[in-house]
Amino acid sequence: MERFLLKRAIVLVVTLTLVSFLAFLVPWLGDTDPARAIIRSRVADLALDSAAVEALRIRLGLDQPLLHQFFAWLGRVFQGDLGLSFTSRLPVADQILRAIGVSATLALSALLLALAIALPVGTLAAVHQGRRFDGIVTFIAQGFVSIPEYWLAPVLVLLFAVELGWLPSAGWSGFETLILPAAVLCLRPLAYFSQVMRASMIDVLHANYILAARSRGLGLAGALVRHGLRNGIQPVLTVFALWLAGLLGGSVVVEVIFAIPGMGRLIYSAVINNDMPMLQGSIICIVGLAIIINTAADVLYGVLNPTVTVSGDAR
Amino acid sequence: MTMVTRTVRWIMRQHWTFIAGLLSGTIVALLLITAPVMSLHDPVAQDLSMRLQGPGGDHWLGNDQLGRDLWARLLYGGRFSVVVAALTLVLSVTIGTLIGAWCGRVGGAIDEFVMRVVDVLISFPEIIVALFLIAIIGPGFGTLVLALTLVGWTPFARLARGIALDISARDYIVAAEVLGCTRTFILLRHVIPNALRPISAMTFLRFGHKLITVGALSYLGLGIQPPDSDWGAMLADARQFAVRQPLLVFAPGIAIMVTALSVTLMGQGLEIDADRSRRLRTGES
Repeated sequence: MERFLLKRAIVLVVTLTLVSFLAFLVPWLGDTDPARAIIRSRVADLALDSAAVEALRIRLGLDQPLLHQFFAWLGRVFQGDLGLSFTSRLPVADQILRAIGVSATLALSALLLALAIALPVGTLAAVHQGRRFDGIVTFIAQGFVSIPEYWLAPVLVLLFAVELGWLPSAGWSGFETLILPAAVLCLRPLAYFSQVMRASMIDVLHANYILAARSRGLGLAGALVRHGLRNGIQPVLTVFALWLAGLLGGSVVVEVIFAIPGMGRLIYSAVINNDMPMLQGSIICIVGLAIIINTAADVLYGVLNPTVTVSGDAR
Repeated sequence: MTMVTRTVRWIMRQHWTFIAGLLSGTIVALLLITAPVMSLHDPVAQDLSMRLQGPGGDHWLGNDQLGRDLWARLLYGGRFSVVVAALTLVLSVTIGTLIGAWCGRVGGAIDEFVMRVVDVLISFPEIIVALFLIAIIGPGFGTLVLALTLVGWTPFARLARGIALDISARDYIVAAEVLGCTRTFILLRHVIPNALRPISAMTFLRFGHKLITVGALSYLGLGIQPPDSDWGAMLADARQFAVRQPLLVFAPGIAIMVTALSVTLMGQGLEIDADRSRRLRTGES
């Protein structure tokens, strides 16, 4: 266990350093000069004063060698200083922190909703394997995967906000504004969770401990609830972690449509405005979070299932 | 001739969802290929007197906010998303399968390193990678293909590696090694052919997701650039006219859904078939 954690910690540090270097290089990869980009983002399209550009270059240390600049920058990043946003001139770290909270709320609501529906549906489909109910569930799941969010979201807004007037059409101000985006976001994970749950419960149904429980006189439902769920749910939790990591930032379209101030929209506007510090900060945060969440999922997997150690070899 | 009859027989043996997917997928593909024949109108020709007209007469699905023929725009618009999705898939499959199968055969530190890279990339949303790349090199066809391939190869690598590991222990691989076959030969002659069925199933299953992602970027204005247009861009344009002419929103949405669903259904059929043939070979019940 300790060896596994140590190994993962090393991977985390190495990956983050590599990603930070890539993130640091972002402004240099494009054909724009960073000093010019900073001034242009502040003064729109006026002709640039070359003296001002030079002054800024020296003030920000942009005339130093690249590696020197990287370590200076990395040092600041380690202190939690990701610089100021080009456009809002506010600290990037504060903005990202707030946006991640919003995205996490949205992602967790959508995923928990999906999980709550997928567990019973997937189990029932497994019990009815090969019969009509199973076929219908699989078909609906594939239908859900094929629905684009940028189509469903406007249609739901048209129906529930414009026609019926039950829910707000956009914004982020409490439970009511969470319902529509969470509903739109939950469809695809719902489809995946229910299929994973189905496959895993089919394995569980054939397991000896279920046979043993049933031969002791336990009904099928009782055997599944008392012994089956704990085993059947594990693959779903792995997929859950993957989705959580993916939705912190990956829900760009839904956040833009519903005007939700999360990571996705933050990155989107940073791309539109060429806001380099914001892009650098969000790359580091998203990759870091993805690795941390995945490691946590692996550890949790080991806790839930003591027969496999997390390093992969059987005890 | 035998090839054709064998293919037809194989198709007839599949589940009805596979056949349904194959039929609708073929229809969509034919419509997109024959777009110039299937629509009498120019997709970019504006006619402001026909603004937001409903379906009828010469214009089968009516006209959009600039009086352009919706049916023609639907046919031409589909081409971009479908080509980008298909092209990235072909690249992802080729790169992923080669890397994965190679890692599975070589093992050791290289394998470990590549799989850690896969672990990090696989949970990374494609749309975010695409956004970052667009920020660096600007939007366009190449950016989209590059961004979607950069992450897209990972699931195929994982699958191909698993299959390579699985068959490495088989007698015929050991026999081939004893006979002195080179690593490359074994890879191309035994590992890749064995991986073909499950990999092609996964390819079809990933298509819908790619199509939707390409549309999403166009919807955000970062995919295809005007005056060209695709289903995602059409949805974005139609948003403010949704109340007056709902068809403008429904038509591109349904086009994406039908296309994605039919390819997914085919993928599922292939997956069942791959599973069945594997069981037949290995003698599992």
